[in-house]
Amino acid sequence: MSNLGHEILIPSNNKREMHDSQENRVRLNDLSDCVLLHILSYLNSIQAVQTCILSTRWKHLWKYIPTVKLHYSRNSPTVKRFDIFLSNMLALRDNSIALQALDLDRGLIEPQLLEKILNCVYSHNAHIRQLEISAISQSYPILSCVSSCKALTSLKLSLYNIGNKNYSETLFPKSLNLPLLTSLYLVNFTFCGFENGCVEPFSPFTKLNSLVIRHSKIKKAHILHISNETLVDLAMRYNSFNFVEIQLSTPSLCRFTFPDSLDQKICGTGLSCVKHVNIDAPQNSYLMKHRFVLLGWLRDLASVESLKLTSITLQILSLVPDLLKVKLPSLCNLKSLEVELIPHYNELLIVLMKDDMLKKAIPKSFEEVAKLRKAFKAGLKLPSIPDGIVDFLRQNSPSAQVIITT
Amino acid sequence: MAEEVSSQMNSLSISETNPSSSATISLVSGDDIVFKVEPTIAKEMETVQSFIDETDGKITTIPLPNISSHDLPYVIEYCEKSIAGKITKEFEAEFVKKLNNEEVKELFLAANYLNIKKLLDFLSQVIADRIANKSVEYVRRYFGIENDFTPEEEAKLREELAWTFTGVDPDDEDEN
Repeated sequence: MSNLGHEILIPSNNKREMHDSQENRVRLNDLSDCVLLHILSYLNSIQAVQTCILSTRWKHLWKYIPTVKLHYSRNSPTVKRFDIFLSNMLALRDNSIALQALDLDRGLIEPQLLEKILNCVYSHNAHIRQLEISAISQSYPILSCVSSCKALTSLKLSLYNIGNKNYSETLFPKSLNLPLLTSLYLVNFTFCGFENGCVEPFSPFTKLNSLVIRHSKIKKAHILHISNETLVDLAMRYNSFNFVEIQLSTPSLCRFTFPDSLDQKICGTGLSCVKHVNIDAPQNSYLMKHRFVLLGWLRDLASVESLKLTSITLQILSLVPDLLKVKLPSLCNLKSLEVELIPHYNELLIVLMKDDMLKKAIPKSFEEVAKLRKAFKAGLKLPSIPDGIVDFLRQNSPSAQVIITT
Repeated sequence: MAEEVSSQMNSLSISETNPSSSATISLVSGDDIVFKVEPTIAKEMETVQSFIDETDGKITTIPLPNISSHDLPYVIEYCEKSIAGKITKEFEAEFVKKLNNEEVKELFLAANYLNIKKLLDFLSQVIADRIANKSVEYVRRYFGIENDFTPEEEAKLREELAWTFTGVDPDDEDEN
């Protein structure tokens, strides 16, 4: 207990042994309905409804759970039963109990079922605070329902829009006004720009704290502007934002996951204050300009404390000519450096690295080069983390802890 | 030991010169062990804070008869992390790894009694995870529930709610 750092003034016998011998001492069933409902609200709805069988006390308890949480697992062959369950549950739950959260991951939703779900959301739209919908369906009805939920603090949408039997893009609505929203997670959206070539989709959310954008794209714009003063967390992955400039005016930004494309320019004031950074460069970014983009990012990270990158990212970076001689003006407060080891699937990067090693060997001696060539032929494996690069990153904070993960 | 006493004296003398804001709070566990915590920690515990407020901060020793000296350090650790803004998924995973089922339940009771919302939410999720996809009997044991249905009643209920008991497998996907 002393390792937890609290002073213990009156010593007493350790009660731990007594603890372990008395199994099932704690009876949660003695708690009030209200507390049990709190636990039930964290269960998926199927199991939550099934608690009706536990005892007479629990028979109707599930009807008062303020949340609906249903994830359809792809392996399950029971799509139809899933839908029957959902409509029965929505019909039988006590509708006078405000629905606070809906978390639905269903895949393809039939219009009739969607209507039932959305009607339920509409009828609680003044109370519902968390909404997560992942669905293949018509996006428009879902988005217009979402826009009616003015109390939302957390929204996660992953929508694959089906128009006239075909998939079509889901445009992020320009007029979505959710004043209390603090967390936004968007998958598969298209952000459409204005005439000035700019797109700034998130400015109406003045309390936004966390933003994740995945598998999305930008249309009719070459600048994505994110200017939320309150934004602390930002992650952008798997998007097709190629050749779009990202402007960050985010003075509170603390955690940032860089886009997984080195064809994007990131500018603005956002990067200088970031404390926790994640960089995962794709294996096909071996052009000379990509290497300098990475180096540029690192230069901008003035206050970063924890930096997490992949071994691939380090390998790309190592191809910057004379990298180890570069003096970084940044990374002065680095406390931890985490490298995730990623296996190669792209031969080109390996070829480039071997070539780079040979070039570096030339000034040393001819024998060195020959030895290296021979070793490569014999199948010499390249180090996952290029020599010297960890110390290069720690040049301004040599005591930073290094963590290697797989 | 000597060091501990002197640091304790220090904190006492500081609290004498500046009684209003920086006085530490003494939390007394059910088995009479005193834990000294910063007032910011007490703020996380709504029950404790409202007790302090009600006595205009004059009383700084708070008995917590329902909470053992085994559980209280965990609660304090969580509150400290929470104040520092360091509640991460990794921390929570490590935190919960140390706890067996009984300890999770005890901490849940403690969080409920102390009214620490974040800890209560977190432990609710832990309990939900621990009973996910478990048999009815397991869940009854976990909650300490005595089945007071007759076999006929139970069978009837299963039939009435067949839409929840047949054909639908509980979701066994990982949360992320």
